[in-house]
Amino acid sequence: MIPFELAEPRSLKEAISLLDGADETVRPIAGGTALMLMMKAGVFHPTRLIALRYVAGANAIELAGDKTLRLGALATLGALERTKGLRDAFPVIAQTLRTLSNVRVRNVATIGGNLAHADPHMDLPPVLAALGAQVTVAGPNCERTVAVENLFAGYYETVLARNELIAQVSVPPLGSKRAAYVKVTTRSADDWPALGVAVVIDAEGRNVRRADVFVSAATEKPTRLKAAEAALRGAEADETNLKRAGEAAASEVETMADPQGSASYKKELVRVFVARAVRKALGLGDAQGRAG
Amino acid sequence: MSMVSAGASQIGRSLPRLEGRAKVTGRAEYVHNLRLPGMLYGKIFRSTVAHGRIRRIDTAAARALPGVFRVVTGEDICKVIPNPYYGPAFHDQPILALDKVYHVGQPVAAVLAADPHVAEQAVQLIVAEYDELPAVYDEVEAVTSKAVVHDELKPAGAFADLKHLQGRKNTNVALDYHLRRGDAEGALAQADHVFEHEFRTQQVMHTPLEPFVSVAEPRENGITIHSASQGPSFVRVEIARLLGWPENKVRIKVPYLGGGFGGKLYIKLEALVAALALIARRPVKIALTMEEQFYQITKHAATLRIKSGVSKDGRITARKCEVWWNGGAFADVGPRVTQKSGFSACGPYDVDNVHIDSYALYTNLPPAGALRGFGIPQLCWAYESHTDMMARALKLDPIEFRRRNLLRDGRPQATGTLVHDTPLEKILDRLAVRLNWGAPFDRGNGTVRRGRGVAIGFKAVISPTTSMAIVNVSADGSATVYVGTVDMGQGSDTAMAQLAGEVLNLPAESITVVHSDTDVTPYDMGTLGSRSLYHMGHAVKTAAEEALAKLRALAREVGLPEGTNVPVAELFRRKYGMQAGNVIGTGSFVPSYTPPEPGTGLTTNVTPFWMAGGAGCELEVDTETGHVRLIKLVNVADAGRQINPRIVETQLSGASIMQLGFTMSERMDFEAGQMTNASLADYKIPGLHDLPRVIENEAVESYEPSGPFGAKGVGETATFAVSPAIANGIEDAVGVRLMQLPLTPEAVYRALRAAHGTPLGEE
Repeated sequence: MIPFELAEPRSLKEAISLLDGADETVRPIAGGTALMLMMKAGVFHPTRLIALRYVAGANAIELAGDKTLRLGALATLGALERTKGLRDAFPVIAQTLRTLSNVRVRNVATIGGNLAHADPHMDLPPVLAALGAQVTVAGPNCERTVAVENLFAGYYETVLARNELIAQVSVPPLGSKRAAYVKVTTRSADDWPALGVAVVIDAEGRNVRRADVFVSAATEKPTRLKAAEAALRGAEADETNLKRAGEAAASEVETMADPQGSASYKKELVRVFVARAVRKALGLGDAQGRAG
Repeated sequence: MSMVSAGASQIGRSLPRLEGRAKVTGRAEYVHNLRLPGMLYGKIFRSTVAHGRIRRIDTAAARALPGVFRVVTGEDICKVIPNPYYGPAFHDQPILALDKVYHVGQPVAAVLAADPHVAEQAVQLIVAEYDELPAVYDEVEAVTSKAVVHDELKPAGAFADLKHLQGRKNTNVALDYHLRRGDAEGALAQADHVFEHEFRTQQVMHTPLEPFVSVAEPRENGITIHSASQGPSFVRVEIARLLGWPENKVRIKVPYLGGGFGGKLYIKLEALVAALALIARRPVKIALTMEEQFYQITKHAATLRIKSGVSKDGRITARKCEVWWNGGAFADVGPRVTQKSGFSACGPYDVDNVHIDSYALYTNLPPAGALRGFGIPQLCWAYESHTDMMARALKLDPIEFRRRNLLRDGRPQATGTLVHDTPLEKILDRLAVRLNWGAPFDRGNGTVRRGRGVAIGFKAVISPTTSMAIVNVSADGSATVYVGTVDMGQGSDTAMAQLAGEVLNLPAESITVVHSDTDVTPYDMGTLGSRSLYHMGHAVKTAAEEALAKLRALAREVGLPEGTNVPVAELFRRKYGMQAGNVIGTGSFVPSYTPPEPGTGLTTNVTPFWMAGGAGCELEVDTETGHVRLIKLVNVADAGRQINPRIVETQLSGASIMQLGFTMSERMDFEAGQMTNASLADYKIPGLHDLPRVIENEAVESYEPSGPFGAKGVGETATFAVSPAIANGIEDAVGVRLMQLPLTPEAVYRALRAAHGTPLGEE
């Protein structure tokens, strides 16, 4: 490994001052679960890494009285998983974390890194996007707020500038809405997903008032499926309407081929699993398509 | 130990593995942990083109990097090893590339440094330029391709069963094997039904958790190589040949292995570390990364065409098999795979008229060799898929159709060798019982359909091969066994201790088994092909019997009556006046063998024993996505008499799970010879969540009269039938037939769409 500078700032302000807006070889590092692999594979050679782990207070997790979830960007996925009350307030997050990589990775990977890495195969971004989460982004001169939905610019790309850092993630209360995430793997259970589907449904029984539907992994970034949402809006979640939503999703989605599957196959997975995710959220069946 | 047998039998004891505690507490010895004073680390610079002539290798920047001890190319290797080509079948593999490169990932140069990270960084500074040559990747195209991988083929002449290999020019065919028995063409012409199918298998990797690792240590008068090798005796012979030294100047030491599966046979890194150590005059270690393993050795992809004639009463009357084995750029032991599998291509069926052509091909892909079954899993995939397809077409029950055609003891196998002590029918019976075959079966409904399948295969153990063993009884009566068999996780140390203990009337756990060290342990052909328990077991048993006979003679010599129960330690005391001396027994074993007749491939004695294994499964298919969920996997095998039933069971379940990966998910993907998924992030082996809810393993009642205490080998048996059993179950569930491995959800889904008349687009 080529020697590089490792900076360990104690504050967010200091960390941002060490970033370089122009130099690609200067990068922040949090849990390092993705960056270290890139370094080991020889595809990334840093000149300076800014380790964020000593930034004071950046790993706080707060589940407020109104059930708003506020996560410091340096909070590990493992800490989130073990947060008291998470299972009641956001069962979909608790459940997503269980099959997200493995316990060793979750114990070091951070929520901020998980979002900033922008690998479309990540499980949490579509879930957070569907939940309407927002990130607070800190830069040299100011802070701004970006919806997770709008955070991703493309394949491994975010809208963040090189001298900006995610400081906090805020997830609004789920309230009476119901949510589900379905991870579809095609080779082994611990593989990256071929498709991730996250749905958040506001419904009275089976009657859907509003649905937020996001897919990832099959697409170059977490993507809202507007036609599927429209098909579900104001509709009863019966076989006909769920099928219609699946058809709408398949026709609007632009899938990409990767080792997990061809683009055309992934489109078929979208067709099937949008409906299954809705069923799962409403407690009408499991993700394998069995009736509930 | 006393001279009178009184203790409990060691045979059939489910003794926990002798090394188990050391392994789980992190105390077992592996080459990875070895550090020698002054040791340098080597890192390999590899070819980026599939076939090309080397125009230039620029090592200047690498050499200039602080901390680099030396950069070595093929030309430098020639200074210590003038003819640096090796291989068990052909001397086709250069230690580092000379003039040409033959596949992406071939070692072209090596960097030595005291710090492995410096060596790794220097590798990235090396630049090579090539004039690319036309390349060939497909095994069938390789037969007629104008792109020829090697200009000339030079047979190694190292192994008894490969003596017939010939030198050739202008061809990619390393070996063509033919078997002709009866009149297949005539019988096919007269058959009531004729079926012909073509199957394919994919290239996969062994994926031992311990990647390849070797350390060479130059000595004043020789060289010592510490290596994770399954065949130290062969490595010694081959290194001695390369160096032009006598065998006794080359010492190969092997501690435990973290898995081998056939990958760590023959020369792998040993020649390279030996050459580098001689150049550097310091110890050199090379440890591959998990990713680099994909370029070292793999399992053959194959194309298998099979045609059968069947009479109206469901008897197979003729069979024609053509098999093309994709050996990659170096033959390794592919010719043996081609031949072993060649003569078994007809499967465990009694067919009078057989015609087999089996071809070992060179291509510009990473080399392929032995992997847990020497080609039998590929063949069984084809013939057992074919068997089910025929049964379906003939509207016969798949088990009944098999039963009607199975080889029985006393009947000739395709080579003409009579089958003996091979309980194929019993295996089929037990599969049927465990799957409750006769009872009504829930076929599922809606988008979840259920099915079940069976398959059965067999393999002839490799022949002729040699094993030697030493048993040493010390003056206190304790015993030590010296064997070249490598314990790579299969439990051979425990089994050898049980065999010696049975003869010497000692508990197996009191016996010490000395690991492979060619200065200490005698010759063994290799730990491969499920041969060790039978061959080395025989040698150990013979050595222990000789030691026992010497102890009896010692008792007579010191004046004790026949059958005395005086402790052994007392015999030594009476003979030598104190606790001194020892008794050494030696044993060797090589079974009889008759080579096949050239041209027909027929012989009356192709193997000392057959190992048979069957698999059955129950599964669910999601018709909307193609996902297959295994509910139950049953492995039934013939292991002869079980020396250690618990180890037999773990061998069966382990082998079947390994084959499950090759069946469902593992595949090396290539674009123009460049592997596109060379990491465990993108090459997926099964994890715990991918296993069936139920795996049942059974070794049927069996006894091999020629085996040590009736035993046969069992390391490979449960790999044979898993893939076709699952494909047969898929057809049973949803009516589609997959002809190619792996059976991914997408492959199943595409087949469903094609069957529905609405094929899915390729993009």
